[in-house]
Amino acid sequence: MDSVVQLQRQLVDYTVQLFNEGFLDDQFNQLQQLQDESNPDFVVEVVTLFFEDSERLLDELAKALEQQSVDYTKIDAHVHQLKGSSSSIGAQRVQKVCIGFRNFCEERNIEGCQKCLHQVKREYSLVKTKLETLFKLERKVLAAGGSIPWPM
Amino acid sequence: MLGMWKSNAPDEFVCIKFDMEISEGSSLSDVASSTTNSSGRRQNSAEVKEGQSFSMCKRLVQMMQGNIWISLSPLGFAQGMTLVLRFQIHPSYGRAVFSPGTSSEQPNSNPQFRGLHVILADDDHVNRMVTKKLLEKLGCEVTAVSSGSECLSALSSAENSFILVVLDLQMPEMDGFEVATRIRKFRSRNWPLIVAVTASAEDNVWERCLRMGMNGVIRKPVLLQGMADELQRVLQRAREQF
Repeated sequence: MDSVVQLQRQLVDYTVQLFNEGFLDDQFNQLQQLQDESNPDFVVEVVTLFFEDSERLLDELAKALEQQSVDYTKIDAHVHQLKGSSSSIGAQRVQKVCIGFRNFCEERNIEGCQKCLHQVKREYSLVKTKLETLFKLERKVLAAGGSIPWPM
Repeated sequence: MLGMWKSNAPDEFVCIKFDMEISEGSSLSDVASSTTNSSGRRQNSAEVKEGQSFSMCKRLVQMMQGNIWISLSPLGFAQGMTLVLRFQIHPSYGRAVFSPGTSSEQPNSNPQFRGLHVILADDDHVNRMVTKKLLEKLGCEVTAVSSGSECLSALSSAENSFILVVLDLQMPEMDGFEVATRIRKFRSRNWPLIVAVTASAEDNVWERCLRMGMNGVIRKPVLLQGMADELQRVLQRAREQF
């Protein structure tokens, strides 16, 4: 059984890695800052909401791109929303793909859009897995009686 | 002459007294007139007849929990008028915001905007949740809505407490500009205060917002310090204009 200190070290290392690899940016730190005793699960709640919203948006995007006549305005609106919410939680790589996606929408470039959809799905899936791992590590630290050392 | 003193009520009210002098030449015939009886004896102040407009004023003032009265000269002529008005003291977000040196403190350890009632309009769940928490962290009381039309109805049903609207510009049904235009149509230029939130990095967004009657702009992503700074600036400007 890992000691509290070891678990905390694991958590810190993992978090730093996510930042270095660009999966998370400073906005994620902002979320942590907003969390307090009155709302101790704030970050998990917001991120869970992000997962739900994003999955719905990705479904809508896939459907929209399969249509006979593609509605680029609708697609742009969805991507705009995804860009906004990923930016709010600090999911930097997802946000970046969304920027390129919107450009292709403007150009009405169907291939570009399809490529971006594929990319954004991938980035979303990656950040989701990583955040879930992060939260699992946090729970381990707390269960072992430690506290989350934030900011890192 | 203006005097101010605290009433006995615990920290809730302040009384302000206005003393007005009536100079010799002026006529107070529409305010009050004193009558003398046939024997020429002086009347006491209780028998000074009050003119109709003065009675109206007195009624209004008393409804405002104040008082108004005429003071008489020794000869029984009106020589002055005193007006006392009682004002309720509102939560002092104003004092906290304008005191120097607050910027050096962590915004989340010092809720500078305690009591500020904010309506937040943003159609995105995640953004709404994050911005709401951020505003609450700064001490605001937040009502969060997800569309422009909900924002307008929340405003019309709100109590008359101080209100600031934080408005996402890019909402699908009714965008922030239209909401602001509608708000300004029926309300004064500075109440409620409107702060726009936009992802746009264009230079003319600020100008456009100002033209629409908004009081401030914040760029996304919204940060705690950024929001605190802009709210402080907007409140400061509003105060200067009163």
